[in-house]
Amino acid sequence: MQREQSGRSRSAQACSAINRAATKATSSFSNDFSSFDKVEAPDKATVKITLKNPVPGFLGYLANYHGGNMVCKKAGEEMGADFQKKPIGTGPFEFVEYQPQQYVKLRANKQYFRGAPQLEEIMYRYIPSDASRDLAFQSGELDMLYGRQEQTWVERTSKLPGVKVATMELAELSAIYLNTAVKPLDDIRVRQAIAHAIDRKGMVAFKGPGVSRPSVSIVPSGYLGTDEQAPLYPYDPEKAKKLLAEAGHPNGITVKTIHTTLPGMQSVIEAVQAQLKKANINLDIELVEHATFHAKIREDLSPIVHYQAARFPVADIYLSQFYHSKSQVKTPTAVTNFTHCKLADQDIEAARVEPDASKQKALWKTAQEKLIKEVCGIPIHEQMQIWAYKDSLDLGYELKGSLNLSPAITEKTRFTK
Amino acid sequence: MTAFLIRRLAFAVVTLFAVLTLVFLLVRIVPGDPAQVILGDQASREAIEAMRVRLGLDKPVWQQYATFLGGALRGDWGVSMVTGRPVIEEVLKVLPWTIELTLVSLLLGTAIGVPLGVWAAVNRNRAVDYASRISSLLGLSFPPFVSAILLLLAFSIALPWFPVISARTGSAGAWFQSITLPAINLGLITAAYITRVTRSAMLDVLAEDYVRTARAKGVPWRAVVWRHALRNALIPVITVIGLYLSILIGNSVLTEIVFSRPGLGKLIVGALNQRDYTMLQGMMVIYTLIVVAVNLMTDLAYGVADPRVKLQ
Repeated sequence: MQREQSGRSRSAQACSAINRAATKATSSFSNDFSSFDKVEAPDKATVKITLKNPVPGFLGYLANYHGGNMVCKKAGEEMGADFQKKPIGTGPFEFVEYQPQQYVKLRANKQYFRGAPQLEEIMYRYIPSDASRDLAFQSGELDMLYGRQEQTWVERTSKLPGVKVATMELAELSAIYLNTAVKPLDDIRVRQAIAHAIDRKGMVAFKGPGVSRPSVSIVPSGYLGTDEQAPLYPYDPEKAKKLLAEAGHPNGITVKTIHTTLPGMQSVIEAVQAQLKKANINLDIELVEHATFHAKIREDLSPIVHYQAARFPVADIYLSQFYHSKSQVKTPTAVTNFTHCKLADQDIEAARVEPDASKQKALWKTAQEKLIKEVCGIPIHEQMQIWAYKDSLDLGYELKGSLNLSPAITEKTRFTK
Repeated sequence: MTAFLIRRLAFAVVTLFAVLTLVFLLVRIVPGDPAQVILGDQASREAIEAMRVRLGLDKPVWQQYATFLGGALRGDWGVSMVTGRPVIEEVLKVLPWTIELTLVSLLLGTAIGVPLGVWAAVNRNRAVDYASRISSLLGLSFPPFVSAILLLLAFSIALPWFPVISARTGSAGAWFQSITLPAINLGLITAAYITRVTRSAMLDVLAEDYVRTARAKGVPWRAVVWRHALRNALIPVITVIGLYLSILIGNSVLTEIVFSRPGLGKLIVGALNQRDYTMLQGMMVIYTLIVVAVNLMTDLAYGVADPRVKLQ
């Protein structure tokens, strides 16, 4: 998305950018680079990276995603904290202007190393109202649109003349995470009952098979290391009732969840609530606005947390962030582990540094099996990314997915009419 | 008059101080961490703590308050926690959009509301009166975001006369295209309020003895209504316009969002979602200043409309 300063050794620039991404003071993705020991530029065209240990999905960290984006060394040093106001990098488009809550404007970087982009300018507009966004697209004021993750929206928008609707990767895994340290969820029979009460296929039918798919494990499908045949608990509300009775709750239980008011996620938790009800599990939902939701769940205040996320597609990231004890919320190294589970720590750590690919996959599989058996998290469904764009817009490549969860606009993207 | 102004300005300073303190505390009581919002949900606790230090959120609240108040007294509202740009710069960029929308809506509302209210009062219990009462009731009952969507469906989609993204600049034509639908949306609601108040005030005045006397003297009915009655009925109308101007600025939030129009409303909602404390504080000060200024102007307008009103 940006343009680099010319006249410097590209390899030296790359070294500087990686080191910047690995430095805590200048990067929020520094943890991703913790296994990088040394980054050197032996000559103008070579970058030599020495790792402390093998890194799964290593090349992904150097792709133009998160910390992998190349940053102009001179601009980074001279602008310091102001760099975020006018970022300079190596992409096909350069930053022009950002107006908070309004737009980001980019223009073509004619000196882009893969050739000058065919589009002159890109305006990314922030339109928070779903209805206004749809109408602006319908009236032709927008060429591309972030779609609603609803089957009806896809069907309706597909019928508009001259419009393509794309359902793309990475899917976000919608899952509930159970705090195994609080009553009554500290009893594995209660957690198993909840797992048996979740109807994954029913959820896909509810969300729409065109925009969602059943979950296969506690890691999204298609990631490096996902156990695509993971032993998930089958839907069986009668068994759930039996397990509750065994655990001393013959009349059922009530558990609380703090939940966001984001419409896409709220509809899921309400459907989960209805499913759980069939097994005498009463889910008490406390709805709060999104930033409050993030604050409260990180304070460990919600015994059940519903979270929907896609990550860099390597099992290590999902397992580390959601299930490793180092990521447990309310600890100094917290990320998004809401479960208080730590039984798979050793497998996750061993897989992270295992040089043999098949052994590594076996370790990730073991970790997933352990966490599923212990019912630390229960996957519900996977939500695809939905985008709509004019059929006169040729992206210049076959759209299958994107790490940024939106179709990339490249130097080849153009309008055919 | 001077004493009145000094008193009101002193009152404004106290109000402003109270609002500053309240806003400072309220935004910090609401759960949510700006550092978390800025860095995203994958950020580690360490990265979040480092960001909190950078934003000065690690300092005791009293120290943050002292820094904020000291800055405010010097006219320095600080920098946005999210964009890193001066708050005053960001606010001043969008303030003209909000003021413009508010004033045009108010003018439109007054231009429709006052004559309609007078007409309805003069034709009490006739078809015109019923029609104006029903239409003003409709205007009051319609939530602004519903009427905004209906306007867009009608005049941007079915009849493609106006843009959905009402943020065009550069020429008078572009300005007209961008202001029309948002101003109609807010203006019609304003007109509904003003119509009702004008009608009610006019009915009271038209029953006064001096109106009957004027008619008995042979003053033309039109002159009685517009010169004698309306001027005396204006005080409650001015009060409503003054009050509604403050409400309009608040109502503009939804209108700005639906019409994708820059403005204070859109900025304030974004700042709230992102827990951008400094931006919220700066904008609340601007809102307070506007409300105080509008109230002051309303008081001054009483004296203009009715010379018997003395500002003491």
